[in-house]
Amino acid sequence: MNRMEEAKKRYDEVPIPEELSKRVLQEVEKADRRRKEEGVIRRPHRRSLHVWQKGLVAAAAVMAVFVTALNTSTAFAQSAGELPVIGAFAKVLTFRSYETETEDDLKISVEIPSIEMIAEGTGNLADSVNEEILAMCEEFADEAVERAKEYRTAFLETGGTEEEWAAHNIEIKVWYEVKTHTDRYLSVAVTGAENWTSAYSETRYYNFDLEKGRQVTLSDLLGENYAAIADESILSQIPEKEAESGLDYQEEAFTGVTGDTKFYINEAGNPVVVFEKYEIAPGAAGRPEFEIAG
Amino acid sequence: MAQDLYDRVVRTIIENQNQYYRLAYSYVQNQEDALDAVQSAVCRALEHYKELKNSGAVKTWLYRIVVNESLSILRGRGKEVLSGEEAPPEEPYEEKGFAPPEEDLYLHINRLEPETQAIIKLRFYEELSLQEIAQIMEMNLSTVKSKLYRGLKALRLSLEELSIEEVDV
Repeated sequence: MNRMEEAKKRYDEVPIPEELSKRVLQEVEKADRRRKEEGVIRRPHRRSLHVWQKGLVAAAAVMAVFVTALNTSTAFAQSAGELPVIGAFAKVLTFRSYETETEDDLKISVEIPSIEMIAEGTGNLADSVNEEILAMCEEFADEAVERAKEYRTAFLETGGTEEEWAAHNIEIKVWYEVKTHTDRYLSVAVTGAENWTSAYSETRYYNFDLEKGRQVTLSDLLGENYAAIADESILSQIPEKEAESGLDYQEEAFTGVTGDTKFYINEAGNPVVVFEKYEIAPGAAGRPEFEIAG
Repeated sequence: MAQDLYDRVVRTIIENQNQYYRLAYSYVQNQEDALDAVQSAVCRALEHYKELKNSGAVKTWLYRIVVNESLSILRGRGKEVLSGEEAPPEEPYEEKGFAPPEEDLYLHINRLEPETQAIIKLRFYEELSLQEIAQIMEMNLSTVKSKLYRGLKALRLSLEELSIEEVDV
């Protein structure tokens, strides 16, 4: 390999943070809204979603987005849309969206993604996986809505007015990304973002064993001694990561892998343990990932 | 029509976001700034897409914006007191007539003057043609070529080492 190829390799190996697609989407949505306000977009929002979602799918990135926007003034409405996707894996994304009014006259609109896999052999499993992902997104959104409600209460109690609150334009987004889809496994990352706080931009991972029809645990992949195996592998990889990034990891903050440790399964079928930002390394390291080769 | 162009810009951004991120990262060398650079590039592109006259040049036009945003973050660093969590690595400027030959090429490229740096990155990392680079840099082709050669010379890279077809001449 010549020197230029080495330099290019280094360039190409820069990891793409998950946050990238989120930040890009944020800007696109902002621009969409701006154009709508200017009266440029006369089509329904649903279509504008589709245009960039097709692109997203082509980029094998984020698969679907749903937006919980507090303060929208629409009354109860229910609609459904379908977007067929031709990608590496034949899938159909179906959007279900509805808007609800809550007891405090908080108007909340929710768009929920669901997936139906029409891949052969998944049979009736598709529905259960579908429902599981849906439930995860709902759970995530519910918690975010709760936090926003608390914030609203505090805001009003400390002298804020309804108008000022409305101007906050609070938005909660939850979306999921298919990390890996092999014949055997499906790994999904569910991420949420709340535009008024960055404290909860958390990612959760869900790994399904498509053959057995249930969630995969680290012990399924690594055996009974999964904790010891993963701990050893992570500790041995830290020096490499430090050398690569020039950042000091806080080994002492690493308390060991447990059954609750977050991971996804990569193409090779190996678990990849993911730490939250700041958990074991400075923020600049993002969310450090460690592949545990079996 | 404006709608078509807008959709096209959005699609190009989404399809190429990883490339834009890597290019930005190659300048700013940390994740936060690279994300900021891409985000403000997207914002700028969607605000100014109407100024794009040649609708066939969406991709190259976006590269240009990403390079500009990255450079403006680097310029900002010189002025502001850093409040971020990590200080960026020091990147000393190239001293004239001095280039340690054994040095890491990746780092060495990052120390070239900004235009030459961009040309080399776009040519060899992003593998764009010289014509595309000329479009991105708003330079004529011969200026791009001469800057490229001067850059390669500063890097002590011979054309043999790169293989001549790769350089397009």
